[in-house]
Amino acid sequence: MSTFNERKRRNDVSRRAFLGGAAGLMTAGGLWYPRKAMAAPIERKFLFFWAGGGWDTTTILDPHYGPDGSSAVPGVDMDQNTFLGKKGNVTYTSGPDRLDVDKYFRNWAGYTAIVRGIDTHSVGHDSSTQFMMTGTSASSYADWPTILAANSTLDYPLPHIVFSGPSFPGTSGSAVVRAGGGTLLSLIDGSINGQSSAPSPDIMPPADDMIDQFVYKRVAEFASQQKGLARDRADGMLSNVERAMELEGRQFEAGLDNLGNTLLDQMLKASEMFRLGLSRSAMIQIPGGYDTHSGNNQQAPQQVAFYAALDQLMEHLANTPGHTADYLINEVVIVAASDFGRTPKLNGGNGKDHWPYNSVLVAGAGVRGNQVHGYTDDSLIATPIDLKTGQQDDGGTMLGCEHVGLAYLKIGGLDPSRFLPGVDVLESLIR
Amino acid sequence: MRQVIPIGVLGVLLGTVAGCKATAVTPDALELLPKREQLIRLSMDLRGIHPTEDELKAFDKADDPNGMYADLADQWIADPAFIGRMKEIFNQRYLVRNGQTYFDPSDGGLAGMDERVLADDIANEPLALLEYTITNELPYSYMVTASHTMANPDLAKFWGIDYPADANGGWVPAQYSDGRPESGMLTMTTTWQKYPSMGGNANRHRANAISKMFLCDDYLSRPIVLNRAAVDQLTISPEEAINTNAGCQACHSTLDPIAGNFFGFFNYDALDGIDQTKYRPENEEEWRYYSGKEPGYYGHPTGNIPEFGRTLAKDSRFGDCAVRTVWEGLTQREMADEDWPEVSVHRDVYESNDENLKEVVRSIVTSDPYKAVSAHDPDLNERLAGRKAASPEQLSSLFKQLTGYVWLFDGRDGLKNNSLGLPVLAGGIDGDFVTNRSYVPSVGTVFVQERIAQAAGYWVATHDLDPARTEEAKLLNLVTVNDTPTSAPDAFKQQIQSLYLNITGVPLAADAKEPAELMNLWTYQYSVDASPTNAWAGVVSAVLRDPRVLFY
Repeated sequence: MSTFNERKRRNDVSRRAFLGGAAGLMTAGGLWYPRKAMAAPIERKFLFFWAGGGWDTTTILDPHYGPDGSSAVPGVDMDQNTFLGKKGNVTYTSGPDRLDVDKYFRNWAGYTAIVRGIDTHSVGHDSSTQFMMTGTSASSYADWPTILAANSTLDYPLPHIVFSGPSFPGTSGSAVVRAGGGTLLSLIDGSINGQSSAPSPDIMPPADDMIDQFVYKRVAEFASQQKGLARDRADGMLSNVERAMELEGRQFEAGLDNLGNTLLDQMLKASEMFRLGLSRSAMIQIPGGYDTHSGNNQQAPQQVAFYAALDQLMEHLANTPGHTADYLINEVVIVAASDFGRTPKLNGGNGKDHWPYNSVLVAGAGVRGNQVHGYTDDSLIATPIDLKTGQQDDGGTMLGCEHVGLAYLKIGGLDPSRFLPGVDVLESLIR
Repeated sequence: MRQVIPIGVLGVLLGTVAGCKATAVTPDALELLPKREQLIRLSMDLRGIHPTEDELKAFDKADDPNGMYADLADQWIADPAFIGRMKEIFNQRYLVRNGQTYFDPSDGGLAGMDERVLADDIANEPLALLEYTITNELPYSYMVTASHTMANPDLAKFWGIDYPADANGGWVPAQYSDGRPESGMLTMTTTWQKYPSMGGNANRHRANAISKMFLCDDYLSRPIVLNRAAVDQLTISPEEAINTNAGCQACHSTLDPIAGNFFGFFNYDALDGIDQTKYRPENEEEWRYYSGKEPGYYGHPTGNIPEFGRTLAKDSRFGDCAVRTVWEGLTQREMADEDWPEVSVHRDVYESNDENLKEVVRSIVTSDPYKAVSAHDPDLNERLAGRKAASPEQLSSLFKQLTGYVWLFDGRDGLKNNSLGLPVLAGGIDGDFVTNRSYVPSVGTVFVQERIAQAAGYWVATHDLDPARTEEAKLLNLVTVNDTPTSAPDAFKQQIQSLYLNITGVPLAADAKEPAELMNLWTYQYSVDASPTNAWAGVVSAVLRDPRVLFY
């Protein structure tokens, strides 16, 4: 998390100036004020999706069929009545119940990369989630979206917004906000106090703004007296008092009065936050239960529903002007991941247990799409790859979640060596 | 070539770091908080509220401030609110407050019961045992050796506990009716519902949960380094690989015997949800079928769970973890190797006082590093919290103390339960998705403070300015509803100074600009709706949003 002073030194756009100027009056009046910074370099936004519980990678992302493209190899139990799908260089699991997946890849394979054979270093839910999201097991390390949000060149009122799903703020907690359940929205617009058992009236602008400015001064003075970690904490508060002031002024512009209920609603809301420059990253949990120790056939309908929504999201991104790029599709990076993969063979309960080799889908701006990176053999075991090409290489590297995560950071314009020094990057993923 | 993750492995085995080069922190290496703020920190940590102004004044004038500080620490450790703080701190280790009932209340004969209340009861089973342990000054190891659980009537009905006939409806020691061998948290249904296990996992998740909660050692934080042959072996026969491969055995040689202790709770053959919470002695030997590892603890065979609990409690890491939990909770620091010399002082106190947690707390809060606002050593300064952030629970109790206001939603404190998600937004945890506190205020924290300040400000103004009021004023005791900055400028100035003193505990400087600025705010707000109540509500809310309310 950059401190207030650091941001001042970088001469970031001042929200105080924004709030105090004509734009502030426009937003206070409910008028839309696009803060498009077209002259600035493109700052990529990141939308993460999380399938909690551990998805079966063979359901879509990592098919294993014999030469005929429809008979599963002996080492892997593929879903019945499925076959190899292919669009460009991207292969996936297709079938009559997977038409929405076909549609997605038909439309967006060129933008989409599949990364296979990612070692999650653990098969415990909590631990693997942490590894996949941070590349480490240390609680002091923030997850990828938090790092991206906390180290952006522009400033965002809700740097990393967690609609649902996991969050590892590490020491950058001030960059992370949970939006779940609409409570954040009722805090922003003040309606929360109308819901309480002792309702109280809102303090309306401009008195509200006067109080905000008064508080800001008090926090700034307090922060200036602190040292070390205390200074970081106080600076965090100061930054977020500022952000809160901006959000109060822009809540209606962003449609923050309603986050929606469906996956697609949340996808579109996140893209709107990106468009308006309110957030740099977001996390959304993919609905469903993926920990299918029994009844592995639950995987397909849940994953297919995600691709149906994702197709609509990509369409939306392709047609919506961006915050720092012409269209959002040239600015937004999509990452869909899960705790770990599942065993190649079904167990006695027609389920699949935890498996340390995972696959993820990465799509959008800066991603080398139309390509599969990484590899698993016909026992669903990863083999070494060349991180520069993403292709098999006996003398290469076993792909770990840390290599993939660092590629996200590099796509986001960050220097990966600042975060996990000495760890290589899956360079092939970067366009 | 495999790349091993070079960082991030916690694996801090406390016994191994005692010989490191770091030395204990000396007082001259630290800058201590001003006296008043030391007392505020102490009170916030032990009671979740500020000291009274009388206490602060007495401390200012004390001939022996260190003696008075220690006396107050003793008094506040004896305060009932202290238990609440300890429960909060240990919940950060146990993570049992997650709002879960695990089953529909009707499944356990509690149809119609508010699930949120039942969830609180369930979470309180282990935390009530902690309360019992601390209150009765029992050794902390009682948490894993007690020959009883704790229950109130609702929990007793839900989990199948015999609630004593002569009990008064509160939380009391009680026995499970299924005859399980009781051993504190190790045999609580709440523990095993929070940390379940099924299928080939064979209680390993539970074994690791025990390790995390009582040894501060997470097996899953250890990196897995397996060669190709091991992976192939895992694919063909996981259990064989676990039993023979050195890489697997590095963890499983100790994890699996721990897991072997809990097969009486491994209910693969349960009829329904609640049925799977029951203890089944006939399943105790199932370890033979699953892992083949005899129940034990780091090489010591254990015949039953109580014996396992006693063995666990004798492990020096058990005490290390207890002290570390309290120290991390009170200092808002994550213990690093370099901190061991500082922590070891408190570890000695734990050992020499029969594992008494009150003595550990007393040792920590009377130490100089605890009272420090910064350190001269830059490395220590990066680890020292300097300013601590109030938790959502502390904010709740502080606002109640300062204003009398509790932020209730549907009759429940919004900052103490996660129904609305407010605690997480304010930097707290939910036990499932958010398991670490955030000490840097987020925009969510700022909004939480702003909105509760507004509600509490209005509450205070409405109450205090009511001419028919019979109770004492909460905060606005120097002005009346008829006063204005023009008619009573001195009273306004004194009132605002008093607000700062009473809300933050720290007086404004004589030449501070805040009174004038807030009088302007009052005037402006009054010009909008001619309501002195609303004008004062705004002023009080501004003071309640002070950083000194959030930080201590």
